[in-house]
Amino acid sequence: MQTFINITQTLSVIAIPSIIFFIVTYGIIKKVKIYEVFVEGAKEGFNVGVRIIPYLVAMLVAIGIFRASGAMDFLALIISPITNLIGMPAEALPMAIMRPLSGSGALGVMSETINTHGADSLIGRMVSVMMGSGETTFYVLAIYFGSVSITKTRHAVPAGIIADVAGIITLVWLVNLIFG
Amino acid sequence: MLNYIWLSLIVIGILVAVTIDFRDISTDKFRNGEEIQTELIFDSPTPQLEKGKHYKCNIFIPASEMQKIYGIQLSQNLVQEAEIIVSNSGEAVIKITTDEQSPTIWREHAGAQRKNGDILQGKVRITRMSENGFVAVLILDAVKFVKLNSVTNDGIVRYAKTAVELAIGLIGIMALWLGVMKIAEASGLITKLAGFLKPVTTRLFPDVPPDHPAMGAMIMNISANILGLANAATPLGLKAMEELNKLNKKLGTATDAMCTFLVINTSNVQLIPATVIAIRAAAGSTNPTEILGAVIVATTVSTIVGVTVVKLFARLKIFRKQLEAVSGEL
Repeated sequence: MQTFINITQTLSVIAIPSIIFFIVTYGIIKKVKIYEVFVEGAKEGFNVGVRIIPYLVAMLVAIGIFRASGAMDFLALIISPITNLIGMPAEALPMAIMRPLSGSGALGVMSETINTHGADSLIGRMVSVMMGSGETTFYVLAIYFGSVSITKTRHAVPAGIIADVAGIITLVWLVNLIFG
Repeated sequence: MLNYIWLSLIVIGILVAVTIDFRDISTDKFRNGEEIQTELIFDSPTPQLEKGKHYKCNIFIPASEMQKIYGIQLSQNLVQEAEIIVSNSGEAVIKITTDEQSPTIWREHAGAQRKNGDILQGKVRITRMSENGFVAVLILDAVKFVKLNSVTNDGIVRYAKTAVELAIGLIGIMALWLGVMKIAEASGLITKLAGFLKPVTTRLFPDVPPDHPAMGAMIMNISANILGLANAATPLGLKAMEELNKLNKKLGTATDAMCTFLVINTSNVQLIPATVIAIRAAAGSTNPTEILGAVIVATTVSTIVGVTVVKLFARLKIFRKQLEAVSGEL
């Protein structure tokens, strides 16, 4: 396990420089005018950044309202009977709700939960797995679709949510099984 | 569906905030305007209070007084550090520094006042001198509509700003990767990469031509995500979306390939959740990496479920219709 971790950690450090080095070298071999082509491509960066602003503002403001209002506790109260059924402790529920909404929010909830219950408690482990396996689904949806000005998202959202729920059910079951 | 979620977040948020605020008003949670009997204690000797000057002191409130005002049981009398600024004779503005030992209601009150983090502000009216300082009446500055205030400032205003900062922050790294990708494209590397994984990608994205640049960008995005390279993953993902959009017959509506790609992205397989491990280590875990196995299995399951569901949904009439109605129009 330790060697696996070492390998992947090393990989994540050297990956980006190696990829850039490889692509540039390959470009030179294939006689691409690398500098001109790079600048040509990079010009788009500004447009993409600006294009996603309205979508990001819309999504983050809605999430901000939800977070600041204390609606999180209200939602936790409503869905706790269901999450109890799958074996999720009530203390881990805020994390499950926060994870798809906000990366920084989820980080805060995770740190707080770990400080209260301990990193090696069942709850501490469960929120850690939630943090590691989750993704800020709504942020990704907003910027990916926003970057190409798509507002009719069809089945992407329901499928994404079902996948998230499946991930949560699996991890709750697994954590209870391994550490319970 | 995104619009329903968007609407629910806003409506539920505001309704909950309004409900909580009206409950707080009806129960007078913060005891706005109530007079609290206190004693201001100074280091001896007690100074002569001069107008416009600042003095450090401790504010002392007996547990029985807190019980009388707020109906809470404290295990001991309350003593807090404070600073007073004398305004008129016998009257002063007081800034109480709340800390972990302060009653919850005071910390909430301080947060709601939005002065300076943990500062709780009010007025004191000195009634007479005592052995250690002055006997005084404390009236805390009133707070109203705490949650709605928080929704406005912490929710709406702050997040609107955050959104722009995030987007602007993305421009630099975005430009870098778009530039690098352009080189990869011009040298034929992307097409080559797409060729390697043809057997998998053609099944996942049947409506994208196998050697289309979109394939290469999607492969690079997914690889970056698996390695936990968030900085590279997002720009590559946006590049992939741009390429996919070139195959889109009706702009503004997501194609099947986009939906599949999005679900793979949100349910991502991850090998190294570096942040989580760092937090666990900092919190004193004896084995910070023990959660890795569960993370890998959980993300694998969610990816498999996600891809299956997205493929099934793509066949459903309601989702098909949105595409077909479109091609009919064209």
